[in-house]
Amino acid sequence: MPIKRTSAAGNAALLALRSMIAPMVAVAIALIVGGALVIALGDNPVEVYGTIVQGSLVGWPNFLVTLQTMTPLLFTGLAVAVAFRAGLWNIGAEGQLIMGALCSGIVGYAVELPRFIHLPLCLIAAMLGGAIWGLIPAVLRVKFRVNELVVCLMMNPIALLLSGWIAARVLKAPGPTNKLPDVLDSAGLTNFSVYSQVNAGFVIGLFLCILFAFINLRTKIGFQWRMIGLNPRFANYGGMQVERKALSVFLISAAIAGLGGAEQVLGQYHAFYDNFSPGYGFDGIAVAMLAGNNPIGVILAALLFGALNSGGVVLQMMTGLSKYLVQVLQFIIVLILSARFSWEWLKAQRVSVVEPQPQAEALPKNAETQEN
Amino acid sequence: MDSDLFYSAIRISTPLIFAAMGGLLTFKAGMLNIALDGFMILAAFAAVVTAYWTGSLTLAILMAMVCAVALAGLLALFNLRFKADIFIAGIAVTFLAYGLTALLLKGMLDEDGVFASTKIPKFPAIDIPGLSHIPWIGPALNGHTLLVYLSYLTVPVVAWVLYKTRWGLRVRVVGEAEDAARAAGISTGLIKVQTMLLSGAFCGLAGAYLSLGYVSLFANKMTNDRGLIALAAIFFAKGKPFPTALVALLFGLATALSVRLPEVTGIAPQLLQLIPYVVTIIALVFVGIRNFRAQKRQGAWRFDIS
Repeated sequence: MPIKRTSAAGNAALLALRSMIAPMVAVAIALIVGGALVIALGDNPVEVYGTIVQGSLVGWPNFLVTLQTMTPLLFTGLAVAVAFRAGLWNIGAEGQLIMGALCSGIVGYAVELPRFIHLPLCLIAAMLGGAIWGLIPAVLRVKFRVNELVVCLMMNPIALLLSGWIAARVLKAPGPTNKLPDVLDSAGLTNFSVYSQVNAGFVIGLFLCILFAFINLRTKIGFQWRMIGLNPRFANYGGMQVERKALSVFLISAAIAGLGGAEQVLGQYHAFYDNFSPGYGFDGIAVAMLAGNNPIGVILAALLFGALNSGGVVLQMMTGLSKYLVQVLQFIIVLILSARFSWEWLKAQRVSVVEPQPQAEALPKNAETQEN
Repeated sequence: MDSDLFYSAIRISTPLIFAAMGGLLTFKAGMLNIALDGFMILAAFAAVVTAYWTGSLTLAILMAMVCAVALAGLLALFNLRFKADIFIAGIAVTFLAYGLTALLLKGMLDEDGVFASTKIPKFPAIDIPGLSHIPWIGPALNGHTLLVYLSYLTVPVVAWVLYKTRWGLRVRVVGEAEDAARAAGISTGLIKVQTMLLSGAFCGLAGAYLSLGYVSLFANKMTNDRGLIALAAIFFAKGKPFPTALVALLFGLATALSVRLPEVTGIAPQLLQLIPYVVTIIALVFVGIRNFRAQKRQGAWRFDIS
């Protein structure tokens, strides 16, 4: 047995290495295109990238800020990755994050409880908030085969406007800004350092990524999620309750995104602010794409984008360039990786080995799935 | 009810109608183009920069259309040539455009967030003789700028092209039965590219109007999800040109009300801005349930984009 084990481990390492090629190439192309843009704007790309690296990774304070900026990406990236892996296009993480934040923000200030109950209650509220927001596209998708992408797209602005209304009118804290009252200390996520807002939420995010890596690789349910994504019809004929599994994985994905909102409210801002998210839900798509929907990959991708974001802020302070350079790089990467189908096709031309990728596979549209 | 409200509703709906007509063409060809916002923001930026540097509105509109068409070409390239999923590629293109315009705003004009200048020329209001004498309707319809009238004129043109020309027939066949279209010898890829590029051109006009007609400035993310609202209008009207325009106009009216009503009644503007999205989801629910029932009855399955 031990011999077999090592060879399996070797194979896994090889597979892992191979699955990193496409993301690396995408990052390299994005850096080149971004460099060309920087040159066109009259700056030196080497200096610019140097400033970003310096500003995000060199020195303890800078690194702690990077950990802070990567935390929401851990949650939204994992949320998107879990759904994408099961072939469900949850691009509504932005709305789910906002609703999770709103719910934790309300529970965080409205009830007075001892800390060991209050904090978990807030986190559960956030997960419920996210999951409820995911319930609508999930049910429509799974039960009625309505395209979840369109519904998710519409749910995002609804979440923003609805939470904006609540923060501006219904539960508004006294003062000029549109926000809820500050959360109580008993609901706050512990802050680790004076240099940045990195807090216990970071540990929760890391833990979740590792947990889902374990679930994906070592449990039946993780395998089933992948089957739904790879070939739902086969999964159905294989006796899986595809609809129920798809619904549950969508709700789990939404709950993770909601938890990301709680981290923002309880750990970073200490209150729900209207319009607090600069698009973490959409960044999550970029993270999941770069990670190839692998939870461990999500940690690495979130670190990369978190570093780019915090470095981008330093860049904007030091030079005349805008931090939005980072967003450009990020979505060039997504665009290139979205073309994965053709790479698969290219590979299939040369070698007959096609790497299985959880890509857009619809749920069975005609399968007579279980009628309960 | 005052005609002022309808005057501003007509103004506000203009970019929605341009974008909706652009989105409609790709919708008819079987592609759900969610990058309308991306095309628009790039066009809006190109229009402002060109108008600021050259002082020419014609050049500005041209430049806006060229840039939006180029971005549409990028999306078509990835979607059709590299087989990227249109939603993911569409999101990527949209956020790429948001980021790129913000980056260029800082890099080319050295402004953060907003750029306005008195050097940017304005569109003259067109006075249609006699129209202003018609009570109530006249003041609402008269005195708009060129692009406003143009946007409403595109609706019958798009309807005519789609339903009365060979090309329009091909577009619809490609959208409804791609295999049949291919079997009939239609070059489906070409049709799709054409509709995507045209969609870019329409969004170019929408963006140019947004930054030069509606206001005279550029701001980051100034499209404010108008592309999504246009998409919502298409969905709600099930992809028919005239109903789409009408729904877009109603959504524009809701937006106009969300500016006006809070001053009078104290209702929160957010709740009125919600209308297009909520209405679309309700429509999708109905469509979904109906299709689901039809599927059960027929026992066969139809591939439906919505």
